[in-house]
Amino acid sequence: MRGLRIGQRLAAAALLALATLPAHGQAWPAKPVRVVVPYPPGGPVDISARLLAPKLQEALGQPFVVENKPGAGGNIGADFVAKSAPDGYTIGMGAIATHAINPALMANVPYDPIKDFRHLALVVQVPNVLIVNTELPVKSVPELIAYAKARPGRLDFASGSTGSTGHLAGELFKQMTGTFMVHIPYKGAPAAVADLLAGRVHLMFDNLSSALPNVKSGHVRALAVTTLKRSASLPDLPTLDESGLKGFDMTTWWGLMGPAGMSPDVVQRLSAAILNGMDAPDVKERLRAMGMEGSAVRTPEQFTAFVDAERRLYAKLVKQSGAKPD
Amino acid sequence: MEILSNLALGFGVALSPFNLLMCLVGVLLGTLIGVLPGVGPVATIAMLLPITFNLNPIAALIMLAGIYYGAQYGGSTTAILVNLPGESSSVVTCLDGYQMARQGRAGPALATAALGSFFAGCVATLIVAMFAPPLAEVALKFGPSEYFSLMVLGLVAAVVLAHGSLIKAIAMVILGLMLGLVGTDVNSGVLRFAFGIAELADGIGFVTVAMGMFGLAEIIANLEHKGTREVFTSKVKHLWPTKEDFKRIWAPVLRGTFLGSALGILPGGGALLASFGAYTLEKKVSKNSAEFGKGAIEGVAAPESANNAGAQTSFIPLLTLGIPSNAVMALMIGAMMIQGIAPGPQVMTERPQLFWGMIASMWLGNLMLVVLNLPLIGLWIKLLTVPYRILYPSILVFMCIGVFSLSNNPFDCVLMAAFGLLGYICVKLECEPAPLILGFILGPLMEENLRRAMLLSRGDPLVFFQKPISATFLVVSIILLVIIALPNIRKKREEVFVEET
Repeated sequence: MRGLRIGQRLAAAALLALATLPAHGQAWPAKPVRVVVPYPPGGPVDISARLLAPKLQEALGQPFVVENKPGAGGNIGADFVAKSAPDGYTIGMGAIATHAINPALMANVPYDPIKDFRHLALVVQVPNVLIVNTELPVKSVPELIAYAKARPGRLDFASGSTGSTGHLAGELFKQMTGTFMVHIPYKGAPAAVADLLAGRVHLMFDNLSSALPNVKSGHVRALAVTTLKRSASLPDLPTLDESGLKGFDMTTWWGLMGPAGMSPDVVQRLSAAILNGMDAPDVKERLRAMGMEGSAVRTPEQFTAFVDAERRLYAKLVKQSGAKPD
Repeated sequence: MEILSNLALGFGVALSPFNLLMCLVGVLLGTLIGVLPGVGPVATIAMLLPITFNLNPIAALIMLAGIYYGAQYGGSTTAILVNLPGESSSVVTCLDGYQMARQGRAGPALATAALGSFFAGCVATLIVAMFAPPLAEVALKFGPSEYFSLMVLGLVAAVVLAHGSLIKAIAMVILGLMLGLVGTDVNSGVLRFAFGIAELADGIGFVTVAMGMFGLAEIIANLEHKGTREVFTSKVKHLWPTKEDFKRIWAPVLRGTFLGSALGILPGGGALLASFGAYTLEKKVSKNSAEFGKGAIEGVAAPESANNAGAQTSFIPLLTLGIPSNAVMALMIGAMMIQGIAPGPQVMTERPQLFWGMIASMWLGNLMLVVLNLPLIGLWIKLLTVPYRILYPSILVFMCIGVFSLSNNPFDCVLMAAFGLLGYICVKLECEPAPLILGFILGPLMEENLRRAMLLSRGDPLVFFQKPISATFLVVSIILLVIIALPNIRKKREEVFVEET
């Protein structure tokens, strides 16, 4: 619209605004809201979205419909949200992969994780946890470091995929401890866990949600969590930071976002409804059962700052780790 | 006996009116979505997950499991009637089931599928009840090298699948392998053959290929018979298998059940092989092998039993190790976690009611399915008398809805259309699509496991022969290859082909 005069621009903008306004001048939301999950159904991101949707419907009076748009490591779904009309009727889950790791790892991510989005609320943070096969004769992080140093290149660490948080946590661990272990990527964490249980690989950094059952049943040994704070689900488990790797801090996270340009009023109401939903006791209880925790990040502005910091962190990490393919 | 008291406990739980109702709801829904081509259990279970929040965990899981094996039953219905495989396991059912339908024997084919599945379901449920924990140990014995060797065996056996020329079969397998290369390389994360299309980053979807190559291609090919037949077939001889049919299917059902149960236990794609493996085996051992691909009832009985047995035993790695063997199982884990149940070996000891209740409900669900499906056969057959001009457009619409629902992306529909064209070309060239599908499924799994095994052995290829299970598979593959290659046997093989074509 570069050639238009100011007046024409304003008129066009007003028309656009009118077009996106629902009939009868009703306030948002006047029709169901689509919640895009950029992953297949059944995963932790999907489950938390489906837990939250009824709460949002209760608070805002319209159905919130979860729609899975998986593909390209979450980029397809995230791009769909970024390119949607900013009318408040399409929001979606954005995660550490789509908004921090992929932009650093992949050659052509079609969106900007900061500029193309309006970050609404950080929904969940899950620590990763360092787990080892029970046959491995190490009971703590220092013991693991000593064991690995005595056997350079002999230990294998598994991950759900190249460039996953599990992979990057392993690479960071290697750097900080000066150990050399071989990365074995899998197609999804469950396959990696199967080989860890069987003892074909020795250790992995797994998402606490999926690792929790096997840790509790004693089928794998947990050595530490990757966050600065201990996890409420496993309060006796030390952090890597406590175990001598000062400043080791990695969390898997995801939250709700809309396209950039949403009206401040809608952003405010959505953000408040999401946070209220997260605080509902039944939602909280179900999330805790899966090892997921709410977050200290409480406002859209804080969330944007958080995403930006994560993006910078992983840009650096990906570069250092050599995980980038090209 | 402990097993009896456990089963009594299980049936006590499963026979409570509410759980019985949930089981019925599950299998009804499952049958329905199984019959709609492409609309799979994954999308359905995902949509129903929030409803299960408010159910008690046992009822929720009983219903979800019912959807899963209900869909397995329903899926074979479309495979037989209109050549539309909704999932990997029913691809093989298309081969002979659809041919039977064309000869007016859709009734016996459907009945065979239902009865074979029921028998397999009963046996597999018993296996899960009696041997789940020790079998889980077996599942853990399968690592990358074992899987790789198993896939090699599967691929070598695939050549037997073809009933045209050997060269064409091999060409189709290789084409399938190449299509399987599309997507992100697991080891390096590099995109291969994606041509900048984000939708191809995760590879080409199996359902998309199968529906295009089988269903769509069949529809296009049928359009050529202009004006000859208004309806699919009007000569429906009988609904029920004859005495002769029963004599022919009991052995294939037994063999299929056994093979399916064994392969279903393997979490890394073993179940995928079940129906292919059972079909190949039957073709080798059957007296009527010349009929295969032209409507042999054994070719329906064996893979259908195998796939249902595999579907049941694939609950073993889920319930005992917490490892999902396919997308539906992953969803079940999600459903369990939402209920605050950690899937894994402790389920059996900490929540015996849930564990045994689910196993008992599997058997009840199978019983319901067979009772439900046998009377429906008459109805399905009527479907075939619907005129083409109505039947085909409706099938196309359902196919598009189904493929779209895979990832809510129109790209998949376009891709399916492309594979429909490719399938039509293959029909014209008399190339069988089944070997292509097998190559397409096995190729990526083989590559992944080969490279992982090599990574773990630090580049030593001998690892495939040092592990006993892996070595056995490779030796059997080599023997098979020699048999195919030996000149006098090959001659005999070609004679068989002449008979067939």
